[in-house]
Amino acid sequence: MSFLEVEPGAAGESLLLTTDTSQPFDDEQMSSSLEEIKRDGKPKETDESNNENISNVNNYDENSSPVQTDNEENELIQDKKWALMDKHIFVLSLAGKPIYSRFGNEDKLAWLFGVMQTLVSFIQSNEDDLLSISAAGVNFVFAIKKPLILVAVSRKQESVPQLQSQLNYIYNQIASILTTSKLIKIYEQRQNYDLRRLLSGVERLINHLLDFCESEPAFLLKAVQCLSLSSSVRGNISSAIISSCSKIKNIVFAILLANNKLITLVRMKKYSLHPSDLHLIFNLVQATESFKTGESWAPICLPRFDSSGFLYGYVSYLAEDCQACLLLLTVEREVFHTLAEAKQRIVEKLRRNNCLEAINDSLAKPDLSCVSSGFIEVRHYLYKAKSTAQFYQPSVSPPYNKYPQVLSNMYKRLHQRLHCPARPLKLFFERRATEAIFAWDTVGFELYIIFEPLVETSNVVAIITRLLNWMKEREDNLFHLHVPTF
Amino acid sequence: MIHVSFSSSKFTAVAMASRKKVLLKVIILGDSSVGKTSLMNQYVNRKFSNQYKATIGADFLTKEVTVDDRSVTMQIWDTAGQERFQSLGVAFYRGADCCVLVFDVTAPNTFKSLDSWRDEFLVQASPREPENFPFVLLGNKVDLEPRSISSKRAQQWCQSKNNIPYFETSAKEALNVEQAFLAIAKNALAQQNSAVDLYNEFPDQIKLTYAQKPPSSGSSCC
Repeated sequence: MSFLEVEPGAAGESLLLTTDTSQPFDDEQMSSSLEEIKRDGKPKETDESNNENISNVNNYDENSSPVQTDNEENELIQDKKWALMDKHIFVLSLAGKPIYSRFGNEDKLAWLFGVMQTLVSFIQSNEDDLLSISAAGVNFVFAIKKPLILVAVSRKQESVPQLQSQLNYIYNQIASILTTSKLIKIYEQRQNYDLRRLLSGVERLINHLLDFCESEPAFLLKAVQCLSLSSSVRGNISSAIISSCSKIKNIVFAILLANNKLITLVRMKKYSLHPSDLHLIFNLVQATESFKTGESWAPICLPRFDSSGFLYGYVSYLAEDCQACLLLLTVEREVFHTLAEAKQRIVEKLRRNNCLEAINDSLAKPDLSCVSSGFIEVRHYLYKAKSTAQFYQPSVSPPYNKYPQVLSNMYKRLHQRLHCPARPLKLFFERRATEAIFAWDTVGFELYIIFEPLVETSNVVAIITRLLNWMKEREDNLFHLHVPTF
Repeated sequence: MIHVSFSSSKFTAVAMASRKKVLLKVIILGDSSVGKTSLMNQYVNRKFSNQYKATIGADFLTKEVTVDDRSVTMQIWDTAGQERFQSLGVAFYRGADCCVLVFDVTAPNTFKSLDSWRDEFLVQASPREPENFPFVLLGNKVDLEPRSISSKRAQQWCQSKNNIPYFETSAKEALNVEQAFLAIAKNALAQQNSAVDLYNEFPDQIKLTYAQKPPSSGSSCC
C-alpha cells in the first residue's frame, strides 16, 4: 500500500515533541528546561533519574480483604449507586491519607484509602510494585508516583495501560499546580501532610481532566488536533505573535487555541512542547470559565517541560468577537503588563489581517463529515501523523453523534489492539453486525476507521488510499506543518 | 480511677487553627487480645462482642468528630497484635498523626510490651520530633477482675514518656472510650497545628527568583 511519498500531516521538523518513541509516553524522564533557560540555554549536566522499577503483579489474592461489610459505618459499600459507578479515581498520600476521590466524600471514605495504601504497601514489602488487579470485570489500576498513590477502579472498556495513562495525567495535573519538587519537599518534611489544603479548587481541574481523558481522542492518541485554517492565515497569525513579542525576552511558548483545537504555537527555538503538557493547558482553559471574563496571570508548571518550577502564563481570550484563547508563557514573574500590551498588538494585527474573521469562520463551520467529503462507506476515522504528533478527525455523524461513548469505546479498543504491549498488531480489520472496524499502525501514521458494516472487503484498501490522498491534499489546512519560533 | 494528664502546651495551638476540615491518621497498637478492635468498634459503631476474632493484617474505620468547633475525620488504623500478621510496620506507621497504645489491665505481659510497641513505632514511623510525638495510652478491660496493673503504675510509665495521656477504659461497658478518643483527636490536632503550616503560601516562588536575573547579552532566544 505504498502510494504516498510522504503521509499526510508529516513534517521534517515538528511543532510538538513527538510521542512515537520506544519509551512509554508517560514515564519518560521529565526534562528540566527552566534551569537551562535561566542559565541562558546551557543544558543541564546531570539529570536525576526518576525511573522506577516496576514489575507486574497480577492475580492478587483478594480473599483476605480486611474490610468488614457488616457494620453500619460501611454503609458506603452498600450504597450500590456509589459502588457500581463505572469508574472511580482516588488519589492518596503514601501514608494513606485521602487527597481526591472522583465520587463521594473522601473523608467518609478514609477507611477505603487505608485499604488501598495497605494493598500497595503489602506488595512493596516484597520489593515489588502493585500495578493492577483484574477481578469480576473490574480493573483496579495503581500508579505509585512518589509521594502519591493514584488508583483507578474501572468497569469501562479501558485497558490497564490506558488507565495508567489517565493516572499519569492526574499526577501531572497536580504537579502542574504545585510542581513536582514542591510536592516531594512537602512530604519529605511532613509525611502526614494533608495535601487537600493546597489543592482546594483543583478538584474541578481533575474532574474536568477525567471527563476530557475519557471523551477526547487527543489523550488516546497522545496528539493534538489543529483548527482547520489555510496555511497563509496560520502563517499570518504566527507572524503577528512573533513580531508583537519580538522585544520581549524569555517568552518560551505562545499558544493560541480555540474550541479545544490548536491554532498556532510559537516557541523558543530550543524548546519544544510535549503534547501531554499541551493537553493540560487545554484542560486548564476549558475548565476555567473565569478566563473569559478578563486577563489572567497564573503560574503553570508544565511537568514534561520542567517539573521543578513554574512558567508564568498570561491568559486572555482575543476579543469579545473572537473566542480564541491566547497564552503567553514566560519564565519572568512580573511581566504581566508587558504581555498584556503585546496581546493588544497581536489582536490589532490579527484584526487588520482579517485573521480574527478567518478564525471565526473556521470555528463556525464544523469539520466535514465523511459523507460530505465523499466517503459514503466511512462513518468516522482518526488519523494521527506520528512525526508531528497531530491528528485529524471528521465531524461525528449519525449514528454516533447521539452515542459518542460508543464511538470512543471502539477507538479505545482498537487502540489497545494496536498497542497492547504483549501482542501489538500492525493491521486490524473486524466485521461486526453494526460496523466494520479497521486500524493500521505504520511507521508514519496511525489510522482508525469505522466503516459501514456492509463495506466490501475488496473496497477497503481503495477507500483507505483515497482517504489518505484526500487528507494529503488538504494537509496544509488540517495540520500545522510549520514551526514558528521567536 | 480516671486520670487524665495532658501536657498543657499541646493545646495552645488549636485556637489558631484554620477552620478547614482535617483528617487524622490514628494507629492503634498493642499485644493481641488487649481489645484494640473492640475499642474501635465500641467507639465507631457502639457495639461490643465477647467473641474474639484476631485481626488479620489491619482493619480500617472512619469516625467524624467535632473538636473545638472543627470538623475532624479520624482515619483509624487498627493493627493486628499477633506477630504473624505484622509484616507491614513501616507502611502502616508512615505519616501517622497519633499512636494509641493499648494494654489489658488484667494481663501484666501486655503492659510490659508497651515499651517495645512504642519503640517499634518510633523506629518505623520515624516522626520528625519523636519526643513530642502524640501517644495516648489506654488501659483496657477495667470491668474485669483481678486487676494486675494499677492505675498508678500505668501513670508512672506515662510520666516517664514525656507525659503521655492515660485513660482507663472498658470497651465492653463503653467506659471512657468516647473521652479517650476525643483526647486522641485533640492531641493529634495540637501536634498538627504546632508546626506552622508553611505550605499555604504561594508555592515555589523561591526557585523562580533565579529566572529574574537578566539574561546575559549572549542570549538570543527571543
